Amino acid sequence: MSSLEQKIIVGIADMAVSKNPTVTLATYSLGSCLGVAIYDPITKAGGLLHVMLPDSNIDAAKAAERPSMFVDTGVAALFRAVYQLGAEKQRLIISVAGGAQILDGSGLFNLGPRNHEALNRLLAEHDLCIYAEQVGGLANRSMRLSLATGEVRLKVSGQFGETLLLCKNSTST
Amino acid sequence: MQELDIYIDKVKSLPPAPRILPELLSLLRKEDVDADRVVNLIAFDPAITAAVLRLCNSAVFAGAEPASGLQEAVTRLGFRQVYQLVAAVSGSRMLGAAQKGYGINGGELWQHSVTAAVAAQIIAQSNSEDESLAFTAALLHDLGKIVLAGALEHIYEELVQNSQSQQSALIETEKRLLGVQHAEIGGRLLARWKFPENIVSAVTFHHDPTGASSHQRLAAYVYLGNMIAYFMGHGYGHQAFALRGRAEALEILNLKPDALPNFMIQTFDKLQMVEMMVKVSA
Repeated sequence: MSSLEQKIIVGIADMAVSKNPTVTLATYSLGSCLGVAIYDPITKAGGLLHVMLPDSNIDAAKAAERPSMFVDTGVAALFRAVYQLGAEKQRLIISVAGGAQILDGSGLFNLGPRNHEALNRLLAEHDLCIYAEQVGGLANRSMRLSLATGEVRLKVSGQFGETLLLCKNSTST
Repeated sequence: MQELDIYIDKVKSLPPAPRILPELLSLLRKEDVDADRVVNLIAFDPAITAAVLRLCNSAVFAGAEPASGLQEAVTRLGFRQVYQLVAAVSGSRMLGAAQKGYGINGGELWQHSVTAAVAAQIIAQSNSEDESLAFTAALLHDLGKIVLAGALEHIYEELVQNSQSQQSALIETEKRLLGVQHAEIGGRLLARWKFPENIVSAVTFHHDPTGASSHQRLAAYVYLGNMIAYFMGHGYGHQAFALRGRAEALEILNLKPDALPNFMIQTFDKLQMVEMMVKVSA
């Protein structure tokens, strides 16, 4: 990353949007949380969300104070914010990471899969689909979105280097 | 037991025993806390003394006049606050370093431990049980990792391959490759450092709370605190989520799985306060 580029860190239960092509949005250590990146390749507006829990019904007061904590309120806030930057729904490319899951035969500790299900349901209701994702498994992932190119990269804890979740070419159409 | 001691004795750079912590914990559990003894204990450690004074005189707590001495600072902050600070400072000394054998970077094990401690404290609080105990046991639950990291560093590739191919929990992989695992090593080290039996037991069985027999409630708090830390992203290293779900942990505490998201929200709120506290006292 050159000195002209700037990185905006998105914390847990938070989000950020931008259409500044020198900006990279990054979020660390998703755990069972989900990172949701959306990007409009025409306007180069995009956003990154780090949601912790599947449903705002868990705590409506908290959802009002901090919508980015929950899948339903967080995704709605993310889309609204990039629309304000000029992005259009039909052009938005959605990528998702996180949702890790422990080795659990009991099925009681399944927060990661529940987050993922909630997201899939919500996007389906709005006729949206995920373009690329790396979800579940035992990995703790970090995610970043470059607004210049729309590239999304992942880093897995305990491993060297990054992997490309979404490359520039796939976002240029 | 002997095998555990052999591993512990092999480590060249074991951190110094946090000698204030077990003594302070036992002082605070008495009905009448002896303030002089608390102050005398803390005064042994210059860094902790400075941290207590800094916290007391920070914007978060400061009264009209800054506290001049340790005695006054301890009285103003209250024993519980002081205890948490001592635990935090002692814990960060032991757990702050990177542990390459686990693929853990500097600060990550500490972040994980604090999150687990805060979550365990919140769950214990909701059951009206000793929150300082749950906080401490969860803060120290992964101490064994600093002992085993050296041994694993030499066989990191093997650890990674083994855990990937077998889909087994980290402690099972450790047992297979080393003959010991980090939970029992951590418990043994804390016993050598004269921590009370309940904390030793809860740490030893933090991946399998039923094993802790008479201390299984404390072990269950640590288990769930640890789990919440992973969920919230504060779980690190390769195959970070390689731990087993134990429905018993919920049963022991008579909790429903639906309770976990609410505990996570409370942990999120409390962590922001703790981070502020650590920042002003650092």
